[in-house]
Amino acid sequence: MPQIITEQNLRNLIDLLVKEAKLVVGPKLSGSVVLYEPLTAGSDLTLDALPRRSSKELFFPICEDILSYKRENGAMKVNDVDRSKFPETVLIGAPPCDAGSPAILDAVMSWDYKDEFYLERRRKSTIVGIACTKGDDACFCRAVGLAPDAEAGSDLFLTPLKDGSYACKAVTEKGQALVAAHKNLFAEGAGAEPVAFVDQAVEKLDLVKIKKWLEDHFEDPLWEKIADICVGCGACAFICPACHCFDINDEGSTDDGVRRKHWDACGFAKFTNHASGHNPRDVQNKRYRNRIMHKFKYYDDKFGKTLCTGCGRCIRACPVGIDIAEILETINTKHD
Amino acid sequence: MNAKANKNQVTSIEPAYYQAITEAIRKEAVQILKDETVVGVVGYLPGRRKGTASPALVTTVEEAEKLIFSPACVNNLSVYLTKAKKGVLKQGKVGIVAKGCDMRALAGLMTESQLQREDLFIIGVVCPGVYGFGVERTGTVTEANIARKCRECTVHMPEGADVAAGTHAELADLTPEEAEEMARIEAMPQAERWAFWKEHFSRCIRCMACRQVCPFCYCEQCLCDKNRPQAVESSPRPAGNMAWHLVRAMHLAGRCGGCAECERVCPMDIPLNLLNRRMAQELKELYDFEAGLTPVEKGPLNEYKENDDQSFIK
Repeated sequence: MPQIITEQNLRNLIDLLVKEAKLVVGPKLSGSVVLYEPLTAGSDLTLDALPRRSSKELFFPICEDILSYKRENGAMKVNDVDRSKFPETVLIGAPPCDAGSPAILDAVMSWDYKDEFYLERRRKSTIVGIACTKGDDACFCRAVGLAPDAEAGSDLFLTPLKDGSYACKAVTEKGQALVAAHKNLFAEGAGAEPVAFVDQAVEKLDLVKIKKWLEDHFEDPLWEKIADICVGCGACAFICPACHCFDINDEGSTDDGVRRKHWDACGFAKFTNHASGHNPRDVQNKRYRNRIMHKFKYYDDKFGKTLCTGCGRCIRACPVGIDIAEILETINTKHD
Repeated sequence: MNAKANKNQVTSIEPAYYQAITEAIRKEAVQILKDETVVGVVGYLPGRRKGTASPALVTTVEEAEKLIFSPACVNNLSVYLTKAKKGVLKQGKVGIVAKGCDMRALAGLMTESQLQREDLFIIGVVCPGVYGFGVERTGTVTEANIARKCRECTVHMPEGADVAAGTHAELADLTPEEAEEMARIEAMPQAERWAFWKEHFSRCIRCMACRQVCPFCYCEQCLCDKNRPQAVESSPRPAGNMAWHLVRAMHLAGRCGGCAECERVCPMDIPLNLLNRRMAQELKELYDFEAGLTPVEKGPLNEYKENDDQSFIK
């Protein structure tokens, strides 16, 4: 039986979850930018704009301590982070290009090495996704196999209706449990007509063909053509829902400090700098090639998924206007 | 300041104005490529999305005929010339499209011996202004969508270029938003000002876009990348973020040409140009020096004079 929730009840749901001492995270205005931030009340939720950074940081924070150390009476004492203290979390209001990211990242985070920091947060989280009706000319989720109403990654999925309420679909058991625990906020019925989606400028891409071209063109003049203007910052990778490289640094002194894990990016010149001084990706276009290869070939080779949700953030934020959708379209048209 | 009527002041800059600049740039670029004055021209090409543009290095006449100048041509292209950054110069003399604000960076880079004037053919743009971040890209530039830095532009005419594309026009009655914001922050009690920056820096994700687009951040070993020993915490946390931005502001004092690219590219909307501008103000007050107006032998922080102001030593 389909269910609906009014906008007011959605906000009431947030209030209740906060009262239940859950960490509720959703799009919220922070200074001049909308970010995924802890909501203190339902009124904090803003669904007008795609947050500047993706929701991956809920599971894979910008920076987190992974252990601390201290020398005491000559002996070094190492303290692990108590992951059981990670809070029960509800992510609310993530569009498919963000809600879909864990569905992609779970594979690499639980592969040969289990990233218990990521996985513990995933276990303790429920994702309430929302169909996207706000796209712009940088959006290309359809091109990479998602859609403004794709449910992948969501536990509960909301579809905006013309009367301001939302149609709800429990996609997983976690989603069912969330609805069951707050039954009185949901009403049965199909509700009004859904709000229309925005058309996207990029046609659906043939990801198999693109991958094949990448396989055969590790060396190709195209890389210089598209990537020589890249200035080598990490903006695209950091705000991307799917990029997940990190660095680990010990910060503090030799006697007292913290080991921290924080975001890293393959666009940085030092990303592949070896201790010997040799750098296999010595120029920027090789680094940019890696970004494309990882997203549309390597990750697919290993995990059978594309490492891109088509959110368009990198297109909007690139300081020099590099447009990944345009690059994919270019590759898509190549036949050799 | 704008009270004096200026015949070049208009209420909107129409697409035809930018089109005229485009034509002039194409003509020059084609000419210098044809007669082999240069091996390439750093300019702008249109992007896929309507009303966007990207930097490009064009090396053929066919490509040069596609160069554009539009309100989306926001980048300071001089970043592509420094050795430590992109180093396109190693191939020979290069043409570059430069707005007035970009010319200041070129002059500064010449001052710092990073560029030689004879290696460049500068196609100056008589720029009436470019888009701000996230505005509507209608093709017409008005008070509503012009970049913040352009509201106080004093370098519409690109001094020292080989040729100039366009005729002088500028928008009338622009309020100096950034100057007003500077004054507002200056007026804050110190604790409040500290809180203002702390709040902004707390959002920094250390993507280094500010560093990477900056023509003057050409150090081959950035202090912030050092980890043996670590000089500045490289993790994106409040202490390291604050240290990074303050170190950078200090290092740019007397050098920054005010192109505000760092602020434009910041994905977290940190108003970085306020810091640079504040440092520029210090340099003006202490040494009567403005960076990058024309190439000079030495900047004030590169030399010592007996009569230098020493009031800052406490």
